[in-house]
Amino acid sequence: MFTTVVMKELKGILLSQKFALTFGVVSVLILMSIVAGISEFTAGARQYDTAVQLAEQQLREASNWMAISARALRPPDPLVVFVSGVHNDIGRLSSINGHEAVKLLNSVYADDPIFAVFRSLDLMFIVQVVLSLFAILFTYDAITGERESGTLQLSLANPLPRRTFILAKATGIWAGLLLSLSVPMILGLLVVSLAGVPLSDSDWMRIGALFVGSLLYFTVWVAGGIAVSTWTRTPSASFMACLVLWIATVLILPRVGVLAAEQLVGVPTVAEVDAQKDGFEKAAWEKQMAGLSERWKKREEAMQGFSKEQREAYRDAHMWQWMQEEDAGRKAVQTEIDAYGLRLQEDLRNKRSAQERLAFTLARTSPAAIYQLASMQIARTSVTLKNATETSMEEYRSQFTAHVEKKQQESGGTGGFKITVDSEKGFSFSSPRERGTLDISDLPRYQWNPTPVGQLLADAGWDGLLLAVFALASLALAVIGFHRYDVR
Amino acid sequence: MSQPTFEAVNLTKRYEDGVLALDHVSFEVHPGQIYAMLGANGAGKTTTINIFLNFLEPTEGEARINGVCTHTDPLAAKAQIAYVSENVMLYPAFTAMQNLEYFTRLGGRDHHTKDEYHRVLERVGLQREAHDKRLRGFSKGMRQKCGLAIAILKDAPAIVLDEPTSGLDPQAGYEFTQLLTALRDEGKAILMSTHDIFRAREIASTVGILNRGRLVMQRSAAELGGADLEQLYLEHIAGHAA
Amino acid sequence: MLRLLIIKEIRDIVGSTKFAVTFGVCSLLVLLVFIVGARAYHTAVGQHDAAKRENLRRMEGITDWMQVHDMNVYMPPQPLSALVAGVAHDIGRTVTVEGRGELTAHDSRYSDEPMLAVFRQFDLEFLFTVVLSLFAILFAFDAVSGEKERGTLRLTFASPVPRRTFIAGKLLGAYLTLVVSLLLPIAAGSALLIVMGVPMTGDDWVRLTLIIAAGFLYLGVFLSLSVLVSAMTTRSTTSFLVLLVVWIVAVLIVPRAAVLFAGRAVDVPSVDAVAAQKAKFSAGLWGDDRSAMAAFKPSKSGDMQAVMQEFQQMMQKLADDRDRKMREFASRVNEERRNRQDVQEAVAFGLARITPAACFTLAATRLAGTSFEMKQHFLAATERYQKAFGEFMVAKTGMNPGGRMVVLRVVVGDEKKPEPINTAEIPAFSYAPMQVADVAGGTALDILLLLAVNLFFIVGAVAAFLRYDVR
Repeated sequence: MFTTVVMKELKGILLSQKFALTFGVVSVLILMSIVAGISEFTAGARQYDTAVQLAEQQLREASNWMAISARALRPPDPLVVFVSGVHNDIGRLSSINGHEAVKLLNSVYADDPIFAVFRSLDLMFIVQVVLSLFAILFTYDAITGERESGTLQLSLANPLPRRTFILAKATGIWAGLLLSLSVPMILGLLVVSLAGVPLSDSDWMRIGALFVGSLLYFTVWVAGGIAVSTWTRTPSASFMACLVLWIATVLILPRVGVLAAEQLVGVPTVAEVDAQKDGFEKAAWEKQMAGLSERWKKREEAMQGFSKEQREAYRDAHMWQWMQEEDAGRKAVQTEIDAYGLRLQEDLRNKRSAQERLAFTLARTSPAAIYQLASMQIARTSVTLKNATETSMEEYRSQFTAHVEKKQQESGGTGGFKITVDSEKGFSFSSPRERGTLDISDLPRYQWNPTPVGQLLADAGWDGLLLAVFALASLALAVIGFHRYDVR
Repeated sequence: MSQPTFEAVNLTKRYEDGVLALDHVSFEVHPGQIYAMLGANGAGKTTTINIFLNFLEPTEGEARINGVCTHTDPLAAKAQIAYVSENVMLYPAFTAMQNLEYFTRLGGRDHHTKDEYHRVLERVGLQREAHDKRLRGFSKGMRQKCGLAIAILKDAPAIVLDEPTSGLDPQAGYEFTQLLTALRDEGKAILMSTHDIFRAREIASTVGILNRGRLVMQRSAAELGGADLEQLYLEHIAGHAA
Repeated sequence: MLRLLIIKEIRDIVGSTKFAVTFGVCSLLVLLVFIVGARAYHTAVGQHDAAKRENLRRMEGITDWMQVHDMNVYMPPQPLSALVAGVAHDIGRTVTVEGRGELTAHDSRYSDEPMLAVFRQFDLEFLFTVVLSLFAILFAFDAVSGEKERGTLRLTFASPVPRRTFIAGKLLGAYLTLVVSLLLPIAAGSALLIVMGVPMTGDDWVRLTLIIAAGFLYLGVFLSLSVLVSAMTTRSTTSFLVLLVVWIVAVLIVPRAAVLFAGRAVDVPSVDAVAAQKAKFSAGLWGDDRSAMAAFKPSKSGDMQAVMQEFQQMMQKLADDRDRKMREFASRVNEERRNRQDVQEAVAFGLARITPAACFTLAATRLAGTSFEMKQHFLAATERYQKAFGEFMVAKTGMNPGGRMVVLRVVVGDEKKPEPINTAEIPAFSYAPMQVADVAGGTALDILLLLAVNLFFIVGAVAAFLRYDVR
């Protein structure tokens, strides 16, 4: 009997005009989003490749170790094809050098705001917004429609347990929609593999996880639509209820979470933090300068009463030591500044993480948000991308600066140029360390090391579980609702 | 006497809004009998049928099908009852055959062959060429025939009909009543509600008149004899309205 | 007759549960948008003020203008950009002005706080384009087919009612109900802006009114289209499905597809390529100047102050020269990119304007000053500021700092402690979004397009209904 109802539902869906129309639209949408995603990814990958080459070329053209500056670039993840996430919002690159902290700059949208006007159209968006709407369209009148047309009474005049009926109906609708959705999805995957998007085995695994997530999310809506139809009397009432539910879940709840978190957890802005750091830097150098003056005064005092020749000799004897003292002092200040900057950065990140945690916990009351967050997590385009990138670039920066430091010492002292105005010796300008190009062969290059797949999937797994809970709860609601449904 | 197929015992239904729809109604329908319920709109005919189908639970009393109480064991009761509604609505996207097959299977009969479906559809008078057409374009008479075909295929001892002939043209109405009498002669017990006094008189074994939830008159065909049913009906309705 | 029909139409719509629900939801959403906007504005002002304060604080205690190397300027939040976000959160808000050199904006809101980028801001533009348009369809999808299903259409035309009057009554009734029922929460929301202390200028109000007017025109498109479709179908479920498909294509797909297509069809050199070109050129200039510096010989030795001054003057001259050359080069490179971008934008938005959704988005963001041109507009303002800042620094120190020159002054001997500088003297940055008069021209096209599409669908609806089978 279960299968009879399932088969009838399947047939009912596949034969309907509604299905033909929506199937066409959804197929076109899915394929389009994937084609668009591929084109976006390949453009991004091309841009990345050129940028890497340019950065390499700049390194090669650098002429002194002091002024050398590398560029660390964040490559696009192939799963951007399916989930753009915040990939286009956060910076693509950071300068890496001794005097600047890591800062991600040049996001795609900031570079070319034209692409930000309508945003991107990715598979995740299609599933989250359009497919959920379609799921509702096929389920809102599951019970109310049959009640109005009278077939519900006819069906229930048979020895058919209500639970069997509703579960079979849900299964039938679910299977019918899902089977038809899998066609464009598989086609899309075929296009992806043919289009030459470089996908590793672990990428395919992530794509698999993404599809499981989409499926779960879709199931939530199918079950939700049916649940609504068991708690309403007429199709138009169920449709309005579904639409309100949809607007609340997809459009409002996720944002409310973020808004609330913004109000509850205060986080300083980057501009504020930067200015704070600048202030500290300035003060530190100020102190260093004062110390410098002080030391020079002492050195002068030590030479008190010397003749001009004696002075010269004393100076020549001590100059190297003095220079080293100054250099050490300078380095100490720089380290102090770096440490302070990192501390501020760390503090900012912690506060922001706390805010994000709260926001997303609240947002997870909505299955749409759960699905979106999980997809972004799987595609490595979630909010953590920024921190992850910055942290890995900071690690690279310390390697890089250590290497440059070493090289600098090997080539002897500071680089750049020096202007000396001495009341006795007069003016002199020198740029002693200029010597063509540098040997950068063993200079460390930035390596993007993405979060391991296992961890990604484990994190997203919880969201998947949560989606499953939502689906089951909706189904339970549908069963309860139908159990007490007045079929007259 | 044998066990009644339909049995209403002190059937009472009071809705949540306090309206008393049925007030201690009792009657029996035996195999080979047609029981016709007459009454104005809102008299309680459909409520009675809804209780027999377990779409409603009685506030008091019991409805039984072959001794099985409809609200304590609805599934066992429903296995023995077939239902034809006032306006049979089937799935418009399905053909007559598909509808028939679906509902017959729901009724727990999945051993029928295609030929049997065709035979039954022909028996109820549906032209062969209509069998594989979608229900969307069917007239009310054709849909009613499909509904009866479903009931026949379910082969239940009890058949409930809710104003089955309303809105049918005379020819279709005649054919429909012919089929009902044939089913009665096969030993089915039939409970029907109707506004059609003429037809009730013609085929009913027993006629019951409901007014405001009460069974105000119940007479067998023999008891009615040559009495004018229309006169009786108006008297009973008027008598109790006053 | 027409009046009777209009009143009937309004009563029919207003009396339905559908209307009660949609009206409730819409009002809630509209109010939410205004509240969110006002809060966002205050948050942004808080952030902006804090950043500005910190920026000045880092200069506290400096005693010499020579040590002021740069100045951060921040895009001041605009009340309207909180209501129509456009690209406001995508482009950099901070520009470091050094007195010379090319300016870049960094620290966009979304890159600073990717949390916000996950779900994006819920603003007026989104509400109109996505949510309210859907409701407009719900309002009118069964305008004709629904009456046919209920049988009231037959009854109506059993009376001597001209078809033209009937359909006109339908259209007008639906328009009126929609406008009035939305105006209420919008008026309440606007009042909330005042209550919540958002400083809206007269110009802002005019622009907001225009945005809402454009929004109504946009909703009108979907309303008349719905009536048109309902007058071409016999069943209301069919008209709803058709409209939903049209909505998805028009609102979600076409605008994005257009930009995507333009992005691929018109090749624009990447920012990195341009930056690399500039960096290379700049390195070449530096190399030349380095030798010039090395060749520096003071005209008279001894007086340290004089030597320093002379050197600085030379540096200044070199820097000015370098700056000029660099600017010429950069402007050439930038212009090339700019030209390509213009073509790209023309293609993208030309194509996107097929759909009223894009017309509305473009009009609304332009009116709010948050269109894709916002970045250029902001950078132009900072450019002007840079000039003022450079001139100020020249007046103060005799030189334009133009970069991080660390002046290491070793003071030997006692000197009287110098006074700290007064940071209030630094010229203030001012950014004014375009005024109504500036954007009117650009928006007119979109508004006219919206009007034209409205008319087209209205005429279409009338024509379709004249041939409708009312049986």
